[in-house]
Amino acid sequence: MSETGGEAKAEVKQASKEVKESENVAEKYSAMTVSKNSEINMGELSSAFSAVPTHKPVKKQIQFVEEKQEFSRFPTKTGRRSLSRSISQSSTDSYSSAASYTDSSDDETSPREKTQVNSKGSSDFCVKNIKQAEFGRREIEIAEQDMSALISLRKRAQSEKPLAGAKIVGCTHITAQTAVLIETLVALGAQCRWTACNIYSTQNEVAAALAERGVAVFAWKGESEDDFWWCIDCCVNTEGWQPNMILDDGGDLTHWVYKKYPNVFKKIRGIVEESVTGVHRLYQLSKAGKLCVPAMNVNDSVTKQKFDNLYCCRESILDGLKRTTDVMFGGKQVVVCGYGEVGKGCSAALKALGAVVYVTEIDPICGLQACMDGFRVVKLNEVIRLVDVIITCTGNKNVVTRDQLDRMKNGCIVCNMGHSNTEIDVASLRTPELTWERVRSQVDHVIWPDGKRVILLAEGRLLNLSCSTVPTFVLSITATTQALALIELYNAPDGRYKQDVYLLPKKMDEYVASLHLATFDAHLTELTDEQAKYLGLNKNGPFKPNYYRY
Amino acid sequence: MAKEKNQTRGFWEDLMLTDKFPEPWPKQRTEQNEEAEDTAAGETGEGTKDRAVKCSPTLLRMLKAAESRWTPDGRDRNKAAPSEMGLKETEAEALKTYMSCSVSQCERSASMKKAYNLVNVSKAKQQETVQSICIKQIQLSDHQEEFNKLPTKAGPLPRSHSVSQLSEDSFSSVGSVSSEDESSPQDKLQKTSNGLSDFCIKNIKQADFGRKEIDIAQQGMPALMILRKRAGEEKPLAGAKVVGCTHITAQTAVLIETLAALGAQCRWAACNIFSTQNTVAAALAEGGISVFAWRGESEDDFWWCIDRCVAANSWEPNLILDDGGDLTHWIYEKYPNLFEKLKGIVEESVTGIYRLYQLSKASKLCVPAMNVNDSVTKQKFDNLYCCKESILDGLKRTTDVMLGGRQVVVCGYGEVGKGCCAALKGLGAVIYVTEVDPICALQACMDGLRVITLSEVIRHTDMVITCTGNKNVITREHFDRMRSGCVVCNMGHSNTEIDLASLRTTELKWHRVRPHVDHIIWPDGKQVVLLAEGRLLNLSCSTVPSFVLSVTAVTQALALIELYNAPAGRYKQGVYLLPKKMDEYVAGLHLPIFDAHLTELTDEQAQYLGISKHGPFKPNYYRY
Repeated sequence: MSETGGEAKAEVKQASKEVKESENVAEKYSAMTVSKNSEINMGELSSAFSAVPTHKPVKKQIQFVEEKQEFSRFPTKTGRRSLSRSISQSSTDSYSSAASYTDSSDDETSPREKTQVNSKGSSDFCVKNIKQAEFGRREIEIAEQDMSALISLRKRAQSEKPLAGAKIVGCTHITAQTAVLIETLVALGAQCRWTACNIYSTQNEVAAALAERGVAVFAWKGESEDDFWWCIDCCVNTEGWQPNMILDDGGDLTHWVYKKYPNVFKKIRGIVEESVTGVHRLYQLSKAGKLCVPAMNVNDSVTKQKFDNLYCCRESILDGLKRTTDVMFGGKQVVVCGYGEVGKGCSAALKALGAVVYVTEIDPICGLQACMDGFRVVKLNEVIRLVDVIITCTGNKNVVTRDQLDRMKNGCIVCNMGHSNTEIDVASLRTPELTWERVRSQVDHVIWPDGKRVILLAEGRLLNLSCSTVPTFVLSITATTQALALIELYNAPDGRYKQDVYLLPKKMDEYVASLHLATFDAHLTELTDEQAKYLGLNKNGPFKPNYYRY
Repeated sequence: MAKEKNQTRGFWEDLMLTDKFPEPWPKQRTEQNEEAEDTAAGETGEGTKDRAVKCSPTLLRMLKAAESRWTPDGRDRNKAAPSEMGLKETEAEALKTYMSCSVSQCERSASMKKAYNLVNVSKAKQQETVQSICIKQIQLSDHQEEFNKLPTKAGPLPRSHSVSQLSEDSFSSVGSVSSEDESSPQDKLQKTSNGLSDFCIKNIKQADFGRKEIDIAQQGMPALMILRKRAGEEKPLAGAKVVGCTHITAQTAVLIETLAALGAQCRWAACNIFSTQNTVAAALAEGGISVFAWRGESEDDFWWCIDRCVAANSWEPNLILDDGGDLTHWIYEKYPNLFEKLKGIVEESVTGIYRLYQLSKASKLCVPAMNVNDSVTKQKFDNLYCCKESILDGLKRTTDVMLGGRQVVVCGYGEVGKGCCAALKGLGAVIYVTEVDPICALQACMDGLRVITLSEVIRHTDMVITCTGNKNVITREHFDRMRSGCVVCNMGHSNTEIDLASLRTTELKWHRVRPHVDHIIWPDGKQVVLLAEGRLLNLSCSTVPSFVLSVTAVTQALALIELYNAPAGRYKQGVYLLPKKMDEYVAGLHLPIFDAHLTELTDEQAQYLGISKHGPFKPNYYRY
């Protein structure tokens, strides 16, 4: 936030933000209010409404199935998994309205066939419509407000240009937040070519704004499978430009380069991978001895893990439940299945609102933690008849079964905060004797023959991806971690990183955290020389041994 | 360059550490293999792979017993409990002398009362405590030097000796009952009722009295009792000859007797010259365990006791249970032959572990050692949960302060700091945090606490609590700027956090208002309230719950079992962490106390997650 920027500019930003928000909200609310009124003639209207939301989820489910398969082959990452793709996917959902209303008026020709030129005469990009650039620029400016850590990194390292000479090819969700990251990388001296890691998640106007600024972006919302790979290929395969760094989310880009351009792959200085899936692929490559470059696993860094799971879920569980059901939590009996990071966050948030929280757990250590935090540890079957809300966050499958759904009391809310859509056995509810009623978007009433209703949120998919937003602050942590991982890999002296998958060094992790402290006006204490000597530490960190648990 | 080197070393240390885990996860195995190749020690990688699969048969059986989950046992215990309690009632009433509280009260409140009585009544005894304090301080400064040399264990350090040290304080009233002769126990020849005389304690006649103490402690340590019941028939320690050196308190006695019940032969000495409860030692001796310990040993006595433990005719120890590393050191120096034949060492304290790592680095450690101090369960209980309770207990006992709305500065946001903040926040205090580590500082922010530097708020705080593990966190300059009535105390590590030396000047008057409470008066009349002279508040002014000691004791017992039953080759010469499965077993043994019911994975779910139904459930790098 530049103070000299003038109030006028700030006002504009503020105003545009309000407009956008109000539009978002309006859309959501109109859906809600209409459906409320329509309870009488639900039949017609619900079909009309379901047309809008289902079209997307259906395709998404296909994706999830694919991912699920990948996960079942995935033995190491158990317990509380973070989301399979990176968390930034959720921004797709929250921002989709913004993206969609600019699309509508456009022609339907594929961007691949159009030749567009930005104001500087460059045409090395492929986006939906370059004319949306100005609009996208405003999106990016809004995102910058909440990503002050990246901006201060930009300011601090701008004169040094630690990425000068780096040629980064990236494959992530293309949203306003990623755009801030990309432009930070550019400001630090890197040349970037970018593509989308998800065919639906691109914000077209943001892509346009990036293209306008000279970043070669190949992405638009609603690509086909074919387009997807074409875009990736365009990024890598250009004359006179060979990437030397990869920033990936999901491992698709890495895989493509590895398969199609083995010569390029060998010359890469480092890979930064964000998602669980991608990290798993890298570990497999590494195990097979085929990984010939160092890779950095940013997914498991302390700061990112805590924010993606504990802090983010602590806020989004309430947001998601309130938006969808308007339930009052005081005195309600809630079961939280699983007491990992996500479960800890959910339990803490619900306890703060006065809910009576039960926990189910399989791991005795986490079970004991729940006990010490004052939660009753029970088996789901023991309390299933009493509870008003069931939240699953185990990372497991079939945690809530048909048998248990049969025994729930009328009006029980069932939702999933855990991993993909396997935790609740939704398939078992698709039987003819049960009636499904969609009352709002993401809210289904499942009605038993005796009239009992169970409220299922987001069809068992992740509640925080479907029904709430991910705070920009959380995305900022991820983006900063990625930027620092790139800097670390690019500037590391020869021999520090060999051909393997590494975790971000603790010092970098601490730097990410310290960049975000300014937001809270937090003042770190500095060690005196004497104290540092006493502790045997460097004054500037790292402050903890590697096995420290935080 | 140096910096860079440090960073890379950080990496390799990480990898080394994972290598210490006997049951690696596949993901780490890749790292391990890689490392193994690099260091041309390819076999270790292979070895660790096998470890994951192999497990000692006895242990498997034990852990399978856990399959049937705790409920049946728990019920058994509950059934048994009333009758036991009834018995206790009659016995205890006959023994009115030592307990003024109602018998039905649990062990913890009883010990609290005792400690309280001590505080209120015995002015005379105070001298004695002061004396012991002086000596303790000497010990602490000794540790401190060792810590200077300790580069990795930074942040909020756990206590140098094990936490059980403080049972010494809370139980001192019982231990010091003796108004007997002052002749050294070394010179006396005593016999148990069975005619045994292979022990050396103050007075064997106190055995009955000590037995009561042990019975009370057993109530607070049901997990050990469950372990005893579950593994008692199997005798997993049959043939083990354990030589131990720990604080000898009622809680340790329960551990020792558990080991005996599991088939081990034990010889025991005290790791601290003041911490022994004479009555308990007597009860142990009466029960046939060779104990060499009494309260108030001299330095000479101390080493004599240790030597008597080790050097017994036709008895060679094969396991060591140590707290502080003195015993290990003695055997290593004096009996190198014995040392080589050991099956394993279990070490509890930070100091002792540091010594072991040094030995290991010098490649002089020829037996496997188990570091129980850094196991998840123990760490969380010693620091987070224990301090969460004892900070309030300690403050209330000493100052009777009302905490709602008070402005409190907590220095350091490690495990101890997190516990303190949570407890104080629960009472409505306004909390500020000071931190050096940005990650912990960010955690504080997300928990809704203001992160500041101490000098920013020192003028208007009502209370300053240090838990950094650092030195001179509060300086004379801070003291000079505090407002009148500010309470200063230390929850961190030894007595270095508050710069006390700077307060011993002529213009400041020290005024002792209660035991452990000093008013320091400035020339202008300002008073600062200093608790426990800057020593650890939770060691001096509150008790450690038996439950916490129970976690430690169970961890030690399982570590011994693991080392003794491990197939040859699982543990080589090095310092290991307790395998996660054992850690989970420790936690599992404590769950019946909360009547907590664990969910079991179905076969299908276990397959989906790719883990065993019986654990370990988490990868080794999981942070809990």
